[in-house]
Amino acid sequence: MTSQLNPAWQRRAVSSDHLAKISARFLSDGPRPEQTTDGCQVIPFLLDHPDQRWITGELCEVLTQRGQRSLSCELQEGGDGASLEDVQDALLRQGADKQLCLLPANSPATIQACRFDHVVLLVPASLDAVLLAYERIKLLSQQAAPDIGIVMVGPRDQHAAWRYFRKLAVGTLRFLDIPLLNLGFLPQQVMPEHSPANHHRHNYLTRISERLLRSEFYCRCRPGTTTQARLAR
Amino acid sequence: MKLRIKSAPHCDREELRTLLIDAADELAGENSCLLEPKLPWDGHPILLADAEGHPVLVSFDLADSQAALVSGLHATDQLAVALPWVNQVYATLQQRQKAPHLVVVSSEPPPGGEAVLRSGSGAGLTIFSCRVLSVNGDTGILLEPLDGGAPAARAAATTLAHSTQPTVPDVAPPAPRAAETVPSLSDEERAYFQQL
Repeated sequence: MTSQLNPAWQRRAVSSDHLAKISARFLSDGPRPEQTTDGCQVIPFLLDHPDQRWITGELCEVLTQRGQRSLSCELQEGGDGASLEDVQDALLRQGADKQLCLLPANSPATIQACRFDHVVLLVPASLDAVLLAYERIKLLSQQAAPDIGIVMVGPRDQHAAWRYFRKLAVGTLRFLDIPLLNLGFLPQQVMPEHSPANHHRHNYLTRISERLLRSEFYCRCRPGTTTQARLAR
Repeated sequence: MKLRIKSAPHCDREELRTLLIDAADELAGENSCLLEPKLPWDGHPILLADAEGHPVLVSFDLADSQAALVSGLHATDQLAVALPWVNQVYATLQQRQKAPHLVVVSSEPPPGGEAVLRSGSGAGLTIFSCRVLSVNGDTGILLEPLDGGAPAARAAATTLAHSTQPTVPDVAPPAPRAAETVPSLSDEERAYFQQL
């Protein structure tokens, strides 16, 4: 019997500019681009569940060690939708002399309300979590879809991380025409449950931070509402 | 090409064995390999090794799911006892002495199987329902994992072939997400995310 292309790899619709869209997202080995925007850049994280908050906290520390003055803020969810400009204004008002602000959020509604144009999804390495991530991406795509980066959390190894990422990325590409950026993974053995203080965890977080910076994966300003952002350190 | 699919009227045990061996990747994960097509034990299960070097026992009986489960459990015990010998015989297992997984295949789930999966005590067990189909005159099988009705159990069923290590606690879906509005998925989308 002749082999056929796995349907998972068959695009539902052909898009001529698709290759360019993806190739633009390949990570370059070239020098890191300069940040051209003044003020604090915002990187929203959509958590699978609140216990993942340690990831943004430690990532913030790693970014600071790498010379990027960073802070992790709590975005009060469930309120009126603050725009990115509001968030940045609020950071300035707080005197936060920072270059990067990591904003963990629990709900896609928060990302939509704030109209962030970039978001990092922390996706546990399980089929259920991948399906949930897909549902959330589908929800986000109902408005102007943001650029989406993925960090796989808790796979056994790089191979497993790649397989889960590929499942999600092929699905979003095939059904939603949304490419995903692979920002890296945190393997099972570096989770705090397995090892409270782990040198390897720092290495994996460093790789993620490098990919975030090299791909300039942070939000740009969009016209937003004039409501006041509410941030808490 | 037009596909004509219908239930196959008959599939003998050895033909089903061949089809299951062909479907080893579905049963034991990608990059699995066949160690023994017919073990000389009760029920004559199939012995596979998954990509991580775990032995995977496939016990099957289309007509009698209970017999498939009981034979599989017996074989699992026998294999666990014989692990040092089995590891010497099969280089694929790399002398790791890993505990065997059991995959039970039958047309209907065995009595109590769903409850076992739901309770989480079936961490080393995956149950597949199997339908034999005729596609353009060729015989094929449709395998569907039994999910036990709970996401955690479904995850266990779909990832069984990979590891017996404890799962990361944060894999479990948290309560706050229950309130999220999720978009409806098409049948095609659901089917795509059924398996890794």
